[in-house]
Amino acid sequence: MAATRDSALTRAFDNDWIGPGLVSLIAVVAISLAQPAFLSSFNIFVLMSAISVNMVIALGQLVIIGLGQMNLALGSIGGLVAISFAGVIERYGVPVPLALAFALGIGIAAGMSGGYIIARTMISAFIITLAGLQIFKGINLGITEAQPFYGVPEAVKAFGQASVIGPLPWLMVPMMVCSVAMWYLFNRMRIGRHILAMGSNPQAAELSGIDPKATIIWAHGISGLLAAIAGLMLVARLQIGQPTIGDDWLISSFAAPVIGGAVLTGGRVSVAGTFFGVVIIAIITQGLVMFNIDPFVVQIVLGALILWAVAVNRLREVRIARVQARGAGA
Amino acid sequence: MTALQVSHVSKSFPGVRALHDVSMTMTAGSVHALLGENGAGKSTLIKIVTGICKPDSGTVSMNGATVRFANPRQAAAGGLGVVHQERNLVTRFSVGENILLDRLGNRALSLVDYTSLHREAEKWLKLLDLDVDPRTIVSRLSVAQMQLVEIGKALSLQSRVLLLDEPTASLTPNESKVLFRVLRRLRDDGVAIGFVSHKLEEVFDICDRVTVLRDGRNACDSAGLSQLDRNDVVQMMIGRAERITTRAPRPGTDAAPYLELRGYGSGAGHRDINLTVRPGEIVGLYGLVGAGRSELARAILGLSKQVAGEVRVLGRAVHISSVAQALHHHGIGYVSEDRKAEGLILMHSVLANGGITIWRKLANALGLLRDTTIAARVGPVLTRLEVKTPSVHQITGNLSGGNQQKVSVAKWLAAGVRLLIIDEPSVGIDIKTKAYLHDLIHELAEQGTAILLITSDMPEMIDVADRILVMDGYRIKGEVGNDRSYDPVSRAIMGLIHDRAAA
Amino acid sequence: MAHAGADRPIPPGSAPRRMSSGMRLLLGNEFGLAVLILLTVAIFALTLDGFTSPFSIYTIGRQIGIDTMIGLAMMAVIVTGGLDLSVGAIGVCSAMFFGWLMQVMGVPVLVAVPLAVLFGAGLGFVNGFTVVMSGVHSFIITLASMSIFFGVMIFLTRAAAFNGLPPQVQAFGKMRVLQGISPLLLIAVAVCAALVVFYRYSTLGRQMLAAGANARAAELSGIRTGRVIVACHMLTGLLAAIAGLMVTARTGAAVPSMAGQLGQDWLLPAFLAPVLGGTLLSGGRVSVIGTLLGATFINIMTSGLLLMRVGEFWILAFLGVMLLIAVLADRTRQIFLTSRGMI
Repeated sequence: MAATRDSALTRAFDNDWIGPGLVSLIAVVAISLAQPAFLSSFNIFVLMSAISVNMVIALGQLVIIGLGQMNLALGSIGGLVAISFAGVIERYGVPVPLALAFALGIGIAAGMSGGYIIARTMISAFIITLAGLQIFKGINLGITEAQPFYGVPEAVKAFGQASVIGPLPWLMVPMMVCSVAMWYLFNRMRIGRHILAMGSNPQAAELSGIDPKATIIWAHGISGLLAAIAGLMLVARLQIGQPTIGDDWLISSFAAPVIGGAVLTGGRVSVAGTFFGVVIIAIITQGLVMFNIDPFVVQIVLGALILWAVAVNRLREVRIARVQARGAGA
Repeated sequence: MTALQVSHVSKSFPGVRALHDVSMTMTAGSVHALLGENGAGKSTLIKIVTGICKPDSGTVSMNGATVRFANPRQAAAGGLGVVHQERNLVTRFSVGENILLDRLGNRALSLVDYTSLHREAEKWLKLLDLDVDPRTIVSRLSVAQMQLVEIGKALSLQSRVLLLDEPTASLTPNESKVLFRVLRRLRDDGVAIGFVSHKLEEVFDICDRVTVLRDGRNACDSAGLSQLDRNDVVQMMIGRAERITTRAPRPGTDAAPYLELRGYGSGAGHRDINLTVRPGEIVGLYGLVGAGRSELARAILGLSKQVAGEVRVLGRAVHISSVAQALHHHGIGYVSEDRKAEGLILMHSVLANGGITIWRKLANALGLLRDTTIAARVGPVLTRLEVKTPSVHQITGNLSGGNQQKVSVAKWLAAGVRLLIIDEPSVGIDIKTKAYLHDLIHELAEQGTAILLITSDMPEMIDVADRILVMDGYRIKGEVGNDRSYDPVSRAIMGLIHDRAAA
Repeated sequence: MAHAGADRPIPPGSAPRRMSSGMRLLLGNEFGLAVLILLTVAIFALTLDGFTSPFSIYTIGRQIGIDTMIGLAMMAVIVTGGLDLSVGAIGVCSAMFFGWLMQVMGVPVLVAVPLAVLFGAGLGFVNGFTVVMSGVHSFIITLASMSIFFGVMIFLTRAAAFNGLPPQVQAFGKMRVLQGISPLLLIAVAVCAALVVFYRYSTLGRQMLAAGANARAAELSGIRTGRVIVACHMLTGLLAAIAGLMVTARTGAAVPSMAGQLGQDWLLPAFLAPVLGGTLLSGGRVSVIGTLLGATFINIMTSGLLLMRVGEFWILAFLGVMLLIAVLADRTRQIFLTSRGMI
């Protein structure tokens, strides 16, 4: 008897995106009732632009979280890619498509090189990506001397400012492509399944014939690619190749996946949940601005959200474990 | 036809000679038992066959050709399937995906064709008579079903040799029957099956041949089981010399109980536990793997919540909520069965390990203490236990298994505990140290220490304990007085355990 | 029959390899680092003008003091196999609290110092308590607390620096003792000495090492590992606060941006010094002197490179490469020692 009732509950608990989805919805309704300007088309445009960029950043971290690791270098890769892109265009007049390919190549290479060292030495990803963070940031500042590149082509600028229809920005397009691609990766592609298998039970994965090294390198390469895409989106949005791009990605890149139900030990990620995590963060940030609350409070709220999400995830795991234990005992 | 042959394999680890000239021959279409006590070398042998360790000498061959697998993946590709004791499934994935995890697609970015994957997996499930949908998430299966899925996974690699490491350890008798039906069919199909188990009834039920290891050597090499009876096998496992006990039964004591549990229940699942240990008494706690013995020890130490009944120390009702409290207030110590993970800090020195229990006591008002102060307390104990180490500053991980075990006992003696719970004291140590430890336990009891001994080693239990409590399913099934006569006592113990199996 | 096994010699091949103390010293990180430092100093002194100038020596020494404190702060929590991303945030928050006490509340310097240091320990307690209670890895907890501590600090101070500190603070930062040594370096050396004693001779220090090396074994030996881990985080907070006060003394003001956005700029020196010095990231072993030497090496390299006119920004990248080399060297050393049975 208890088992059937529990299984419905467990299924709801098991679903990573329902909770954050509901919270997003309630937040939107509550804020727009209190402040109708929240739903103005300008505001929606700004909100959607921020969501688009932050979603791609979060996906870049999500793929590494799935593996049970972390990538501190995400932001510095994004920054390096951003200034490389703007730099080769401004200095050498490289055509946009070529610069794009070059910049994405840098992202992939930066990610894969970190992944290679981790896979080869099995030193913790934390310390290797911390070194990567410093190296990529140093190269970035060494090249730019902390000055932005301004020579961003009009087409790129337009991409960052134009809307597809109504208040929906073009930036949503790469975000949606990346999200769908990552959903496919985690749910339908061999590499994604192997990443999750490694994250849940590395020993089982290896004994089953999964190549752990290749999987780690792939995951970091994908993470680097997503960081690169996010960096380029920010160049388009900010209209300049700003060397500080990526400096503030660290907290939000973890906050969104964790709010979306990702388990930091690996193996459990949700693209939809992460999306709602990004949405919640964006709404709160934007909401604080609308109510003229000190923008510094955002930092505090972000930290608190992470703690809250960690607590919820933990409770949920305990609960599921208990239900399963009872099921097995019956 | 010989499917897998192990010839004259030897293997040493620092401090231990794990295998010495061991051979085994497994033939196609037969079930081969690999037996031996804990620490006899079974797991080392499996590790060598599957490529986890390299042998120092000797060879492994499959179907007549010598093989040297670099890792378990290569072994699997070479047709050697292994079902390990630990569950090696990705519990969030479906049954089908687990079975075919390494064949999800040709390239990294290939899309997984779940329809054909599950169809393929269904074939293997059918072969195993496992009536579950391959789309089921593994975490929803029972333990027995997971076990079968693992076998399916091994078979799906076209394994002609299948090694099962204690496959029935966590199965009910009925579930084991299902498993055996499957194994018999696989055998009839010509698969060579290796079967590691502690349960002799099962071995006689399903196996044709047997290899017994004792202290890293062959006690028998691939003998036909039909010519042997249970007694022969037991004798090969434990060795006759050891079985004859040298100790006379000790007189009972009527001292007031040091520890008493009444109707005790724990958060770990223990129910209605009644148990007393008196000063100077050695109480044995016998049971199969998973009976809840170590868990009871941990619960007494305060690592699980007490949910029912009462705990009395020296007649006073107490509530122990941490190991620190158990040690410092109630004088209870625990020698863990898992020396490496729980008993010792291998990367620290002998002195640090021996003194860890008394740092608090020895520190001065500022909380400071010197090595010499600790050495003054720990040194005599190490000397008494005759721990062989070049210096007390030696890293503990460098000592032999027996000496490590002595250090893990020494820290409790240094602390002067009044009740010592000893869990599987002779796993992975040599016979002489084992005998020495048995003497030591007696000596401690003579001096008035209360001892609770947990062991799955029947001869050890009968040689050391004064009386034996039998545990199964987190309950005490009964008590057997120990007059040191092996056959009646062991029969009585097994009888108490099996009354549940029959029910 | 009694003690029959006792006289048994340990079988050949199993005897632990003996290593002379000299051999140990040679293989230790500290020795290698010391040699490296001497070599670099010699090379720079011979080839670079101004490297041995009193001003250069003074500033290098002062920065060594600060980086050593930052490194020790992280080392105190690496002991547990955990980490603390919020060291920078704690350092800045304590420094700002220090500034506030003196400038706004008019608390005298000598009272404000211990209060600020205790404040840091308090923030560390918040981290440690949350980590132990939640059972979640310290990475994510301190990631959140880094954001919260820093956010609260910026919110309360409106991101404004405390510039009107008592003159003694700046005077201390500019003071030269013994003909050109910064008192900040001396403080760091004194803290090192205290920590050496702490880890070697104190019950709590030993318990920290035991809990870090093998928490389960420590717990089963009667150590309250939860409390010990909280204490590790408190020590981290305390040391980070001292580092924050040292930076305040150097600049003569408590500045919210002194450790960069969220205090992230401290992360690299925080890990680099202990890792160079041979502290194991997996916990259970510390090297206090190694951390001091690590910080020394970093600063000598940095100033040498600056004198060689390597751009300031490229030095950031260089430090990253150095961290990479340090962990790779550490891994190689471990494999070597394990293969020879010395660990």
